[in-house]
Amino acid sequence: MQERILEIEDLHFSFDTYAGEVHAVRGVSLYVNKGETLAVVGESGCGKSVTVQSVMKLIPTPPGRLKSGKIYYCGENITHYSQKQMQRLRGNEMSMIFQDPMTSLNPTMRIGRQIAEGILKHEKISAKEAKQRAIEMLKKVGISNPEKSYRRYPHQFSGGMRQRVMIAMALVCNPKVLFADEPTTALDVTTQAQILELINELKEELGTSVVIITHDLGVVARTAERIAVMYAGKVVETGLARDIFYNPKHPYTSGLLESMPSGGETGKTLASIPGTPPDLFAPPKGCAFAPRCRYCMKICQEMPPEATELENGHSVFCWLMHPQAPKYELPGRKSRLKTPDLKGDL
Amino acid sequence: MAEHLLEVKGLKKYFRLGRNQVLHAVDDVSFYIDEGKTFGLVGESGCGKTTVGRTIIRLYDADEGKVLFDGMDVHKLKGKEYKQFTRKMQMIFQDPYASLDPRKTVGAIIGEGLKIHRLCKTKQEYTERIYELLEIVGLSREHANRFPHEFSGGQRQRVGIARALAVNPKFIVCDEAISALDVSIQAQIINLLVELQEKLKLTYLFIAHDLNVVRHISDDTAVMYLGQIIEMAETNELFNNPMHPYTIGLLAAAPEADPDYERSRPHMLMSGEVPSPINPAPVCRFSSRCPHARLKCTEEAPELKDIGNNHYVACFKIQEGWV
Repeated sequence: MQERILEIEDLHFSFDTYAGEVHAVRGVSLYVNKGETLAVVGESGCGKSVTVQSVMKLIPTPPGRLKSGKIYYCGENITHYSQKQMQRLRGNEMSMIFQDPMTSLNPTMRIGRQIAEGILKHEKISAKEAKQRAIEMLKKVGISNPEKSYRRYPHQFSGGMRQRVMIAMALVCNPKVLFADEPTTALDVTTQAQILELINELKEELGTSVVIITHDLGVVARTAERIAVMYAGKVVETGLARDIFYNPKHPYTSGLLESMPSGGETGKTLASIPGTPPDLFAPPKGCAFAPRCRYCMKICQEMPPEATELENGHSVFCWLMHPQAPKYELPGRKSRLKTPDLKGDL
Repeated sequence: MAEHLLEVKGLKKYFRLGRNQVLHAVDDVSFYIDEGKTFGLVGESGCGKTTVGRTIIRLYDADEGKVLFDGMDVHKLKGKEYKQFTRKMQMIFQDPYASLDPRKTVGAIIGEGLKIHRLCKTKQEYTERIYELLEIVGLSREHANRFPHEFSGGQRQRVGIARALAVNPKFIVCDEAISALDVSIQAQIINLLVELQEKLKLTYLFIAHDLNVVRHISDDTAVMYLGQIIEMAETNELFNNPMHPYTIGLLAAAPEADPDYERSRPHMLMSGEVPSPINPAPVCRFSSRCPHARLKCTEEAPELKDIGNNHYVACFKIQEGWV
């Protein structure tokens, strides 16, 4: 059994708005093993960012409200930690990279100071040493001429470089968990490849666990060991990357994989999922995917499905897994490799 | 009748940023599109692909070069002829949140073109046409009286498509038309565009940065880098047999939804970043990042040349056969 760094149990998180309560996260259970990369995949509004931000307690209350659920960090229950207690963890034990490197750095502060700030906050260290550490970190994330760059402002960097600065800030205190919320969505493909490679390298080097949030299945395939697919505030399927891609068991996962044009074939019609995700002001009482689901049965509209455990920690929330349900072969991705390398450490 | 529906010849668009600072957004771009085809234009942000689209439809005036649509020079049209042209060419924009007037109902947005071009004689015909358009793009007639903020991103993009179709155009510029949408919605819109193309015999200029999407939808594809086309070929040829070092790097960088394949292939990373398009030197613009660059690349600019099979490449290494 691998060591679990982070565990979330049945998390419910809502926002109180004038229009009513938005049930953004409706019972999410997840865990992150030490040193692994978990990808949380889903479309916009499915609650993937809220899940992660509520773990770090970055959402102000009100409007956000943690309704129920438990969060364990290294075996310690941090669900009801105060902001003051969280400050000890944030940056030091867990940290985060945000989507938009243009707006998440302080434009009035030199980047060096922004990086050193974290070290000074968490460690008893002199300002000089902190600066040294920050410069080292800048070197590590591949910023040329770190001594000079230390004194630059965010606007003097390009998007990719700013994302590198963000990564340096996030990793300078050697956190155990790094949350990366759409770290490459705002970047170009070539820059994206560089940043993903950098996160991967640093993860290996520092032994950090990475939780990467994304909607891009290509990014997931490149980085993740395990995947959790979210839909309308719930995890619908979770398992090893390979199981999810090549052998999906939830119709939503399968539909998502099918709706991506694949490199090899240029057939003219893509399989698409009809309709749009449900309104989270009034979430459906049954399975949230039922109205869009090809295989929808009567029970799907009545009751939310329970988890069905398959091998290798693959678990699915779908009534199709019920012994009495009809069996379908759900299409997944086919690997382009003719002979899959089965000994790979996936 | 002209040979090609759209022909772009030596198009240049510069933006003057102040004293002696000229941004070469589009620098000598030529290509053509035949009727009923889809031409894909890919590249990273800032490479000028959107500017090409906007100059073709005359949202920008060209600095040099010609855009021939149906044999007419788009940038010389005046008065009546110009108005006729705006009926034949339409555009679908990237951001479905910013490209619809929030104070107009969806019906009024779609109907604006109908009014301008006086395409409907009676009020009833006008409403019927709007209903018809809404149904063509997969919305329903009740939507006509709603405002854009009541719709999701995918639905708004459908409204944008209905607006473009209202005047029965022949040619549509899709500028990152699906980039702002979620994957499952992207597939819906791609399918809609393909279906409409077959039904209405449309021609598309499809501008995008997502290589897999362009590969799926285009007949021919051109890759742009810093304002120039560096490689252009029939889509399958381009993706299966990329020649230019930049195209190769771009394809290697794009992740595919296939974990085994992703883990097995080497990730050649292109180092560095796109240089500034302000006052570029007349050399190969990719030379600063190119692993094969030689002295010649930093002294002269390669031209886009056919290397057989209608495969055009602008690279000395390929043209001169360096090993």
